[in-house]
Amino acid sequence: MKNPTTNPSSSMIRTRFAVRFLHAMKKLNKKTPAPSPYRRRFHTIRAAACASMACAVGPRKAWSRAILKKIRARTLHHYLINKSRNQQMMMIKRGNPRDEELAVGFGYGEEDDLRGLVPGGEGMGFCRLLSETAHYIKCLRAQVQVMTNVLDHYSST
Amino acid sequence: MGSEENGERVFQQRGGGSILNCPSSGMGTNSTSDKVSGMAMCSQSMFRSTNGLDPYGSNWDPIVSLSQSGSFGNSTMVTQNHEFANSHCSVVLENQTMGSSSHLVHFPSDSGLVDMMPKIPSFGSGSLSEMVSSFGQIAESGSLSNFVLKNGVGLQRASTNIADSQDKFQNSEDGILGPSPYGKRKRKEPIGASPQNAEEEQEKDPSEDTSEFPKEDDEKKQKSEQNIALNSRSRQAVKQAKDNSIGAEPSKENYIHVRAKRGQATNSHSLAERVRRERISERMRLLQELVPGCNKITGKAMMLDEIINYVQSLQQQVEFLSMKLATVNPELNVDIDRILSKDILQLRGSNASGLGIAPGLSLSHPLPAYPQGTFNGAPGAAPPFHPLPQHLWNNELQGILQMGFDPDPSISSLGPNGLSKMEL
Repeated sequence: MKNPTTNPSSSMIRTRFAVRFLHAMKKLNKKTPAPSPYRRRFHTIRAAACASMACAVGPRKAWSRAILKKIRARTLHHYLINKSRNQQMMMIKRGNPRDEELAVGFGYGEEDDLRGLVPGGEGMGFCRLLSETAHYIKCLRAQVQVMTNVLDHYSST
Repeated sequence: MGSEENGERVFQQRGGGSILNCPSSGMGTNSTSDKVSGMAMCSQSMFRSTNGLDPYGSNWDPIVSLSQSGSFGNSTMVTQNHEFANSHCSVVLENQTMGSSSHLVHFPSDSGLVDMMPKIPSFGSGSLSEMVSSFGQIAESGSLSNFVLKNGVGLQRASTNIADSQDKFQNSEDGILGPSPYGKRKRKEPIGASPQNAEEEQEKDPSEDTSEFPKEDDEKKQKSEQNIALNSRSRQAVKQAKDNSIGAEPSKENYIHVRAKRGQATNSHSLAERVRRERISERMRLLQELVPGCNKITGKAMMLDEIINYVQSLQQQVEFLSMKLATVNPELNVDIDRILSKDILQLRGSNASGLGIAPGLSLSHPLPAYPQGTFNGAPGAAPPFHPLPQHLWNNELQGILQMGFDPDPSISSLGPNGLSKMEL
């Protein structure tokens, strides 16, 4: 599959993300092979995708910082709480890397919707929000491409 | 005085740039009032200068040209510009000696200019003399950037001296755009000669102005908002002189110094608002390019809707893909490494140079034995990429990748087999 964007920066992001994501997938497949509950795997994979994307981008962008912060908070939370008992709850919490989407319900207007969508978008001005959104869109697109490739490879082999 | 001198310098610079082409025409009478009025309008007229005017000499060809264009105000300004240009040109442009003070006000023996002269007296002559003296100083400063920088400031300061006469001047020079630096007039110069030099000089403005402008602006803040308006006006005048249609963004990233465009309010609040709006619209344009199918949509609200929809759809896609991935059962761990290589190959299919693996691996398919030459070429491009992922990839992965770099017969047996999957 051809990637429409071939500028070096997006390629770099794609590569970095691909590396991390595949590592995460490898780890995940070792720990919990496919036949295990799909829901859990799904959440883990989704979180891994977001985390690897955020790591690939680095702390330069506000949205990646917000994601990393959230992940670290979740990890800490995960350790602090009893796994077996609260696993399900953790799954729900952890599996929703888009808490910000909840904020959409409270915001008014498109601007707030956008803030809800872009991680870390609550505390910045509109102008900055727009540039963060642009970068976020680029990275999301790269993420989708990589994951599609991985999926294709999985399903083809 | 120093400020005026600086302002003079600025004017000169600009005038020099714009009037470089101005042929010097003999100017008739010099009157301080003329100079003053010229100063007032010089920022505007400076750029008005035209092609073909010689900057040197006491010839006020700029004025002539201006008058030819029929703009009275321009000529006045040109006079001033010429003044500036004279000193400036000599120093900066072509090392020609220019009569500094003596030629300060040279009016071509043009009827148009002559008509202007009576109106000039409204300005105080004192300020003009100051300006005149500054011209001499301008010759000393050989820095274009300084001129550019001080342009607004100089105007600002000069304006304070001439503040009283401004109104008079405005009234008297109704048809002239003259006191726009000092007043609230934004009349468009009929003569839209935009000298390239002025354009370039002005382009330098934003980059250099930012550092100095705020300081000097702050000095004058106490005066009133008019100073700010003056600043914007002066800069605007300078800008306008070049081309009124050019509503170029001031490109002041860190400061609120914005050129007020024609017909727009120039108080600080609206200027800041304008900067903000411009930034936002610039970002919106970027987003418009990113989001597919948004070329026809105009309007902030609809664009935002589109953007939100797109982001939501992308996020849903990621979720969907991760769900699918959760159900897929990977066969072997090695596959992941292959996936990585394949991903890189696919993603960077067109960017093989950035990743030396691609050509090497793709070439390995048809050839069971790695051609040495092929891979020798690849590693050349690979090294920049190679060190980066080394610490990220495990040994297995490195092994696979190194196959591209070091064709090892022992590994090659695995290579083609593994790489054959790439063709899928």
